[in-house]
Amino acid sequence: MVYNSPVLFDQSETLVEKFTVRDDRRKFLIISAQPKEADAIQPFINEVNSQKEYELIEMNDELQINNISEVLNRQKMGTQLYISAKWDDAVTIFTAAIEAGFSEDEIQTLISGEKRRYVYCLKCYHLQEVEPVETDTICHHCQISLEIGPFFSIERKGYIGYPYNPAFVSAN
Amino acid sequence: MYKSTNLDLFPYPFRTIKEGTNYRYSNDLRKLEKGQMNCVKITPEYEKQIKRKRELLHEQPEVRFQSYPHTMEMQWEVAEMLINMAVEDYPEHFQIEKNGNHWTFHNLILNETESFIFGDSSSIELEPLDLIGRHFTTDFVLMVVRDDNLYLEVAQESYAALFSPHWNKGMSFDEIHGPVPFVSRTGVSLTERVRDFLIRNVLPGEPWTRINWNLMANRWDVNYETFDTWGPTRFLVTPENAGNLVRLRVEEQFFYRMPRSNAVLFVLNTQFLPMEDLTLKPEWLEQTYSILSDIPKPMADYKGFTPFIEPTVEYLKNLVEKVRLQTKGATIGGL
Repeated sequence: MVYNSPVLFDQSETLVEKFTVRDDRRKFLIISAQPKEADAIQPFINEVNSQKEYELIEMNDELQINNISEVLNRQKMGTQLYISAKWDDAVTIFTAAIEAGFSEDEIQTLISGEKRRYVYCLKCYHLQEVEPVETDTICHHCQISLEIGPFFSIERKGYIGYPYNPAFVSAN
Repeated sequence: MYKSTNLDLFPYPFRTIKEGTNYRYSNDLRKLEKGQMNCVKITPEYEKQIKRKRELLHEQPEVRFQSYPHTMEMQWEVAEMLINMAVEDYPEHFQIEKNGNHWTFHNLILNETESFIFGDSSSIELEPLDLIGRHFTTDFVLMVVRDDNLYLEVAQESYAALFSPHWNKGMSFDEIHGPVPFVSRTGVSLTERVRDFLIRNVLPGEPWTRINWNLMANRWDVNYETFDTWGPTRFLVTPENAGNLVRLRVEEQFFYRMPRSNAVLFVLNTQFLPMEDLTLKPEWLEQTYSILSDIPKPMADYKGFTPFIEPTVEYLKNLVEKVRLQTKGATIGGL
């Protein structure tokens, strides 16, 4: 892993509404950490079943998820990875996949439930979670008002939070 | 705050713009000719600038200097280049004694000495570029080439213009310039063009330069961290006080390809000229007024001076008229 290795964030190019077949891959690896949502990926499994070699791994507990590197490390070139999980589990699997050498183009991520979004306060360098649609917030650490900008830092793992003076903004 | 007092050393940004035409954002990179490749400059403001730079680095180390641990070798390479440049152009101000790897650098302007084992970071208290950079007024950004892009791995800056070493650390050239809104007629972004140009053309022994400019309202630097402080001050400018409050901020940029590490070093020489001092060069005053009165709004928005461009132009208009009247009066008086 290097400092600019991809991370999973709410605008990651790997996020999809549904899995799609990649004809240019030799194998599909489907990791489902959300067995309750199995119905959501079943049509995709039916579709690939007759076309390509695929491996389905269903994970039921945290221990299995934390040991996912073992599975990812033994994959060969040409494998397309499909992750179906809740946000926190998806982050764990995604990070392990990047560490194992997968590129973003080789990963599709289907999130069950809410995605997480973070803002990085440029006044005190505190990272905090924000709602998906929030455009401004208050820093939980230094209490300054923050305008949430559109720029994301892999290094800081959040969107830019510009400190501003709300009294002044309302006066103008 | 400081301002440039020796206008012969001031990198006036509109020199290459022909009379009657106006400024447009473009790729204005120029190859440095032999004899002009040295980025070390000693101006009358040297001591003032160094004092302020060191204060900022001391007060806000996290904000002003950032690096990755694997960059030490690259930093030594840059430190060596800067020392060589300083000694070469200003032997009366800087000296270096080399006893094997035991080096002693003398700054005679400040009456300071730095002794270290070259290449051994444990022999100094700061990182190599942070230490040597404190003897020069310029800012430094070191970017490495990877995947057809440039990535920021080291930065020391004190005169930011919407830039932050802390925030921009690890970012690609494209990410850092994400806010730049300009595209060419063929739809290629200016950022991509400049990035590719730098990667292809900045070669060892072949440095390039360009001049960037902006307007600042009574500020030394406008970094993201202090937006809550300087953002409101932009609205305090009036046609009456613009001459003193508003400064032409010029950033003379130098780009060097480091021969050992293959990194690209950005050296940024930032100088300020208050609007009222433009009268010292009437041709600069006329041209700056002409350019600012016709500046496209997207450019003013991007550069961040939209809140005070109107009173500034009003001030310059009045000043131009005043200078023209004085000149006319002097001519008539001389007849």
